[in-house]
Amino acid sequence: MSTVTTRRRTEPLSREARPPSGAKKPGRLAALGLTGAILIAALLWISPLVLLVVSALRPLSDFLSNGPVSWPDTFTLANFAEAWDVGNFGSSYANSLFLLVIKVPLGVALAALLAYALAKLRIRMKSVTLFFVVIGMTVPIYVAIVPLFTMLRSVGLTDSIPGIVGPYVAFGLPLQVVILHAFFRRVPDELVEAARIDGAGDLRIFLQIMLPLSLPALITVAILDAVATWNELFLALSLLSSQENQTIPLGLLNFQGQFATNYTGLAAGILIAVVPILVLYMFLQRFIVGGLTAGATKG
Amino acid sequence: MTSPAARDPRPRRSLLPLGFILPGLIFYVLFLVWPAVQALWISLTDWDGLSEQQNFVGLENYQRMLDDPVVGTAAVNNVLWTLVTIALPMALGLALAVLLNRKARSSPFFRTLFYAPAVLPLVSIASIWAWLYDPTDGAINELLRMVGLGDLAQSWLGQDSTALWAVMVAAVWVRTGFPMLLYLAALQSIPDELYEAAALDGANRWQRFTQITFPSLKDTHYVVLALSLIESLKVFDLIYAMTYGGPGYATQVMGTWMYANVFQYFDAGYGTAIAVVITIVAVAVGTPFVRSQVRNS
Repeated sequence: MSTVTTRRRTEPLSREARPPSGAKKPGRLAALGLTGAILIAALLWISPLVLLVVSALRPLSDFLSNGPVSWPDTFTLANFAEAWDVGNFGSSYANSLFLLVIKVPLGVALAALLAYALAKLRIRMKSVTLFFVVIGMTVPIYVAIVPLFTMLRSVGLTDSIPGIVGPYVAFGLPLQVVILHAFFRRVPDELVEAARIDGAGDLRIFLQIMLPLSLPALITVAILDAVATWNELFLALSLLSSQENQTIPLGLLNFQGQFATNYTGLAAGILIAVVPILVLYMFLQRFIVGGLTAGATKG
Repeated sequence: MTSPAARDPRPRRSLLPLGFILPGLIFYVLFLVWPAVQALWISLTDWDGLSEQQNFVGLENYQRMLDDPVVGTAAVNNVLWTLVTIALPMALGLALAVLLNRKARSSPFFRTLFYAPAVLPLVSIASIWAWLYDPTDGAINELLRMVGLGDLAQSWLGQDSTALWAVMVAAVWVRTGFPMLLYLAALQSIPDELYEAAALDGANRWQRFTQITFPSLKDTHYVVLALSLIESLKVFDLIYAMTYGGPGYATQVMGTWMYANVFQYFDAGYGTAIAVVITIVAVAVGTPFVRSQVRNS
């Protein structure tokens, strides 16, 4: 198009010739209308969650007599207590938290070491190794399940929370390496060289220069990993069998079956499972958003 | 003391880099690569997954897939799933990104709301939507009755004709946030002057979108498409938790059918063969993208 030629002459004119959305007077009303339209769409978008909260807070009788889409006559917290007990959420929470505390730091540490070596150290077959690790992103977990199950059973680690840490670390690694590698690459080589001239070894450069400089990236990767670990279903479903070893998704799955017609109790149980992750998201969302876009848009 | 060697900025070859690489690589190979390779072997056997008995049967499991009507259903469902759960979230995500790409103070708030479903466990997404779809007391049928469309109220997840589509709706709800975020980030790097010049040329909103915005997002289209494709091919959680592959086999996909064969019918060899097929497709489709990511970095 003619954009190249017109670009020059816009500069002095640009103040008068803004597109309508940026213009002063007629634009303001349009902008308001647009905000209103987006607000309605957003409310519609999260209406399932709103409905869920409202239903969890009303007695089942109220839900059944007034219908699912109505304002409750009475409110109660009893659904939560009932759901908590029946769904065994106590042990599910303990297991999921334990996994989080062990798996996330371990996974991020291993990914950071690997990504640093591939980004900054002089080693052979760097890009081949990077490709070999990142291609793991495309492998569906379920192809590995029979060998994994057999391997873990042979060492008595099926139906065991520590037993699934290994597969969790392995399947989380590719994405973490992609994101961290992208960040480490951006640390100027001169910084590394200067430290090396000062006599710092690779390990010190990693710990004292790379890690502090990449703290935002590390936090992002840790949060993304925490969300993925908290939400993982397939490995938990295949490798954990007893009720005391179930994680939150597994607990919710079993709970869903038991509470099929107790609609308000079901709503409460779903909320029990998702509230921590929603709160985490609300507070830390800028890291999630920043990390996803930084990790994925570099191409 | 400072010997000349210590001052040399180029490090001597040492084994230390291996110390950085090996710990992660060991986990990766032990728990992902090696099991995936073993799967190739298991798919050539009649193993039940538990007993000592394991006979080599060649390509029999793969031949069996050709005669298995459920595999046919699953393959069609995988293709439909992939098309719908890529196209709709991309289109919706792009539309939202364009609408939210303003200096308005409310934009980050809306962005947070639209992305929120993406952080929830897929099992909870399944529970929420199964709850909304409930034939008697679900909100969706209730809403239809409230607006006088009670005739349309039906058992969304309980009949062949609607079940897969109903699950896809939930999938679109979860997956629209991700493309929206990537598009929003990319939109911010399109220079304002391009739009100003186009406005001066008399281009309307739609023309500015088709001739400036859309082509400028070429790289983002590619990244979103590739990541969505990888994600779509892995489909398991939503189907398993919402319909368990049913009613009948209507919503089976390769992942759920493989799971049923391994853990329900104790046919580990056959189940693994199904998984191998979809994995080969996923890796082949993902390879150009991963290569471009690795080369760019």
